[in-house]
Amino acid sequence: MTAGLRTESRPFNRVGMKRIGITTTVPSEFIFAAGLAPVDLNNIFVTDINSSGFIELAETEGLPRASCGWIKGMYGAARAGMVDAIVAVSDGDCSHTRTLLEIIQSEGMPLIPFAYPYDRDHSLLRKQMEKLAAWVGVSMEDAEKWMNRLDSIRSKLWEIDRLTWEENRVTGFENHLLLVNGSDMEGDPDRFEEKCGRFLEEARQRPALPQQLRLAFIGVPPIIGDLYEFIETLNARVVFNEVQRQFTLPFRSDDIVERYLLYTYPYDVFSRIRDIKEEIAKRDIHGVIHYVQSFCHRQMEDVMFRKHLGNIPFLTVEGDAPQKLDARTKLRLESFCEMLSLKISALGRPGC
Amino acid sequence: MLNALGIDVGSRYVKFARFEDGRAVMDKVDTVMFYRRCRAVSGGVDIRRLEQFAQSSFGRIVATGYGRHNVRIQGAEVISEIRAHAEGARYQTGLLDFTLIDLGGQDTKAIRVRDGLVDDFLMNDKCAAGSGRYLENIARMLGITVEELAGYCHNPAKLSVTCAIFGESEVIGKLAEGVEIESICAGANLSVASRVSALMKRFVSSTYVVTGGVARNGAVTKFLAERCEGRVLVPEHPAFNGAIGAAITAQTQETVFHTVGEPAKEADRAP
Repeated sequence: MTAGLRTESRPFNRVGMKRIGITTTVPSEFIFAAGLAPVDLNNIFVTDINSSGFIELAETEGLPRASCGWIKGMYGAARAGMVDAIVAVSDGDCSHTRTLLEIIQSEGMPLIPFAYPYDRDHSLLRKQMEKLAAWVGVSMEDAEKWMNRLDSIRSKLWEIDRLTWEENRVTGFENHLLLVNGSDMEGDPDRFEEKCGRFLEEARQRPALPQQLRLAFIGVPPIIGDLYEFIETLNARVVFNEVQRQFTLPFRSDDIVERYLLYTYPYDVFSRIRDIKEEIAKRDIHGVIHYVQSFCHRQMEDVMFRKHLGNIPFLTVEGDAPQKLDARTKLRLESFCEMLSLKISALGRPGC
Repeated sequence: MLNALGIDVGSRYVKFARFEDGRAVMDKVDTVMFYRRCRAVSGGVDIRRLEQFAQSSFGRIVATGYGRHNVRIQGAEVISEIRAHAEGARYQTGLLDFTLIDLGGQDTKAIRVRDGLVDDFLMNDKCAAGSGRYLENIARMLGITVEELAGYCHNPAKLSVTCAIFGESEVIGKLAEGVEIESICAGANLSVASRVSALMKRFVSSTYVVTGGVARNGAVTKFLAERCEGRVLVPEHPAFNGAIGAAITAQTQETVFHTVGEPAKEADRAP
């Protein structure tokens, strides 16, 4: 627990407090079990028509210009009155989030920190879940029942993912947009499941997409709106969205604690590297795009990925604010895809 | 051989290259003037509005520059800067395996070429630190030309900021301390080389080909040569390398591996 934070067991009356903001994927089963709606603050921010306004608000309040756009956006979303309380990931995401939760709490927002133990200690994660359960007034068993409910939705997301890489019927952007919502199920599991079901029906009827180059997109979801669309103009398509797929909890277990220990994103980079390598091989990927957010500590992970992902062509792309691709990033993407195409023409496949 | 033209739209100049009697013929115009003069009413840019191309007709035009969408030249195919520079360096040096360091007006690129193909590349990000613009700004502040600045490599002052804007404040500080202008110039050249050498270390090679306008700065290339194990080559036309690469791409494949012009010069090592 973060020192100094108010973590009362029942900080609010559930009546009239329906929307619980989350700062990244947390065990939403507990929130749903309590009859509350988890809402990913990142999603609220980046899909808002005035997303730049959220950042301006944060900077007006004094958050540094040279700090993470996602953090400032989440601050703006929290301030905009879109949620009634927040479950904030204090360990397993970034130190900026930790400070963000302190700022938000100081402004009177009911809030509970949630800590993923770096060493994947089962008992510590269970304690965190029990604390969350007590906070929202449910039991571990209630949450486990909800895990089964959410898994029926996740199985649709997994099928959408399979249609992306195996049958080539789903675009990289569609894959991103649907899988990233695995974090909060858009706050309404029934409606989201129906949406995924309708999408699947339609996608299964499509012809295979024509792009030749198969790319992996690793790192946090991009803040840039037109990245996937632009890539698809370059005879390329993202067939693996690493973190978005993790938001669908792709590794099965009947134990809810184990389930969130297998989820790679909040822990060490090595398990992410293992997962990425497996998917690169399985999905027959030609090149990797590592997206990094400006001023994020995860930029440093670039060193590890370049070192440990083998000989696969690798491009690092940086984004700052929710805006369209800048000329420099377009140039890099064009050059990268051109390089892959020429290698395939000359060598049969890149990286050989 | 096709009557081919290569165009490199840079941040400072638009460079042209074509081949006559087996030799590259080059020309350049100011980028702002180029756009002002050549912008066509129908959209895009018409190079026939330039005096030197008014009567010309080309079998194939290949252009490169700051992204496909920023290079809208009528009748031209567009390739990436990375490919153009790799092709240009391969043509100018006759080498198939090397690391190319392109030091441009606003950006720096490192390109690893293996077996004649682009194998990997890196670019500086959203920052003109350590670029030609930084050196231009320092020269302008000191009231000297970039050519004069390029002549200083002894007793370099310690400069830690290569930002094209904030670097100026540091230079003013050095002047206030009474540091000699020659020493400040050498320090500016050294700071650019130090920044670039970090890129070189990412793509270790026995041969580094240095291109771009900054490659004409002998002090920078000397410092680079000191900081790496391999040899540092500056081709005959470093500033036109992208345009030459575009022109080569516009030719048939059979001509791609031909090498003409003067052999590349190996940079001296600073004493």
